[in-house]
Amino acid sequence: MSLSGCPHVAAFKKSKGTKPFRIIQAFFVSCSSVENVKRKARAGSCHVCQQCNQRLHACLTCVFFGCYTMGHIQDHARSTKHNLAVDMTHGTVFCVPCGDYVYDSEFEQISQEERLNCSKFHGSSVQGFSAWEATGYEIELLRRNPTRKKVSGSSTIGLRGLINLGNTCFMNCIVQALTHTPLLRDFFLSDKHHCENERSRDNCLVCEMTRVFQEFYSGIRSVHIPYRLLHLVWTHARHLAGYEQQDAHEFFIAALDVLHRHCKGHNGASGNNPNHCNCIIDQIFTGGLQSDVTCQACKGISTTVDPFWDISLDLGPSSSSNSAPLPVPIIVPTPLPDFSLDSNSSGSSTSSSSLHNGDSGLMSPPGFDDVPHSLDDCLRRFTRPEYLGSSAKIKCSVCQNYQESTKQLTMKTLPLVACFHLKRFEHSSRFRKKISTFISFPHELDMTPYMSTHRRANGLSHHPRSNRTTTSDNQYSLFAVVNHHGSLEAGHYTCYVRQHQDQWFKCDDALITKASVHDVLQSEGYLLFYHKRILEYE
Amino acid sequence: MQTTIMADYGDRKIKDAQMRASINQKLVETGEKERLKELLRNKLIESGWRDELKAHCKEVVRRKGLEHVTVDDLVAEITPKGRELVPDEVKRELLHRIRAFLAQQSNI
Repeated sequence: MSLSGCPHVAAFKKSKGTKPFRIIQAFFVSCSSVENVKRKARAGSCHVCQQCNQRLHACLTCVFFGCYTMGHIQDHARSTKHNLAVDMTHGTVFCVPCGDYVYDSEFEQISQEERLNCSKFHGSSVQGFSAWEATGYEIELLRRNPTRKKVSGSSTIGLRGLINLGNTCFMNCIVQALTHTPLLRDFFLSDKHHCENERSRDNCLVCEMTRVFQEFYSGIRSVHIPYRLLHLVWTHARHLAGYEQQDAHEFFIAALDVLHRHCKGHNGASGNNPNHCNCIIDQIFTGGLQSDVTCQACKGISTTVDPFWDISLDLGPSSSSNSAPLPVPIIVPTPLPDFSLDSNSSGSSTSSSSLHNGDSGLMSPPGFDDVPHSLDDCLRRFTRPEYLGSSAKIKCSVCQNYQESTKQLTMKTLPLVACFHLKRFEHSSRFRKKISTFISFPHELDMTPYMSTHRRANGLSHHPRSNRTTTSDNQYSLFAVVNHHGSLEAGHYTCYVRQHQDQWFKCDDALITKASVHDVLQSEGYLLFYHKRILEYE
Repeated sequence: MQTTIMADYGDRKIKDAQMRASINQKLVETGEKERLKELLRNKLIESGWRDELKAHCKEVVRRKGLEHVTVDDLVAEITPKGRELVPDEVKRELLHRIRAFLAQQSNI
């Protein structure tokens, strides 16, 4: 096996060039026209035994197809001295005298081009997967740095304690969660950030995060001191400066915001549209939240979609907020005068009874006792329609009147990493307190029920269940949990992170200990980080 | 008696081969074969099959020495493992697709 071909290939190319190879590729390996496909289907069988599934090869010198397993192509080559044959499935070149497949860079190039044409012709949406090939520069780097590290299942690489620099556990726990976000790790470890501004490099949080990730995954096990990171956070998010206790969620959002702003410098082109940014933070954390405001008079729906980085979920009884859950009477008798204005009903036959059925099922599920006990409860509450109250009249975009309305939030698009913030700290004008009730959360989460497509189908159409598809696209896995211990006045943050699929560790500032899934799921979660299980091709 | 069974068996073998050839022709003609290949390739990559097999190949090449191994050697050595490692889910999906395709083809 050699990468530089063999003497037979060299001799062939000298006398006949690469044209015969290209013709065979285009006509019989990677067809890119209807006639070629038909011809391949008709003629693609062994000239000796007529079989078509015994590793068919085509002679590169004359028109002859023979199978490899039965030795027909080899027999042909020996009797005619036609040395080379092309595998008709994979397009590789077999040299009969050498007794092996040979690789020639020119041939490889041609076969790749034809394959591309072929996949275009067959209209595959994805360009398929192309393996990483080291460039000259990368080969040089690998040569100069001969040490290799193999990461095994029991490796502790990636686990590092962080020194508490004075009430900075709010930062440490978020750094732990971020460094264990697989997509973010891949981004930073592959040096994908190209800082534009040479001079302000010391001032760039993305550059600092790159350093932090490289520290974490360097294999060093001693404690890391994140003083530079803290300093940068202080300079860029002034409200977090000082040695006071801070909220981890606030820090998380501030960190994403600063990272997002510092990424912008080099993603220039996308900077002009604030809602569509291509930076790594937005690629990973941004989802789209759809808000449907339904006018109670004309049933017209106005829809807006806003980007979000996290979802904050209420834990208290919903009567404490001013938006009470919808009592049933609101949807009942009012006969709908204007069906034609209902932009979203699937047809004019929408009867009030079908609306009633759908809505009541959504709004007051039997046995739903107001205080959520699980992430599921929280999300259900988050995505149910809420009556905005008689004092909050909104101008309806359909009937142009100020009317009472209901509002429903749903997920239009899902982020790759979903962060849920359980609002355990309650600040109201009268009191401040921490809600310590246990909220259960799953290891694997299906977001399908909270999607806009699903909710709408469920609430408004006649066949609520018919188009329900349980795709694997909306499946998430838990990978980090931030916990708060103590009270509102004095507390401490720790973080559970997942490593190697199924190992969990508890990060308590400088201390890292092994934990079980059970420990994680029984903990008093404050921030829950879920990662999408299946990523689509770009 | 013996001979008629043999003849039947031979008959069936020929019929099977004809059937196989005409199915293959249909698959190629419609482009379904290319699509299936693409699907299979992606599924195997996604499931980690390709990486696992690649590691295994490297192991074989290292053991035998680059100059002393041919593609045929490699194929012979990794085929059993390769077959065994294909996830059931991938097999099921492919089978499902092929069945669905054949069900659409009335004239085979």
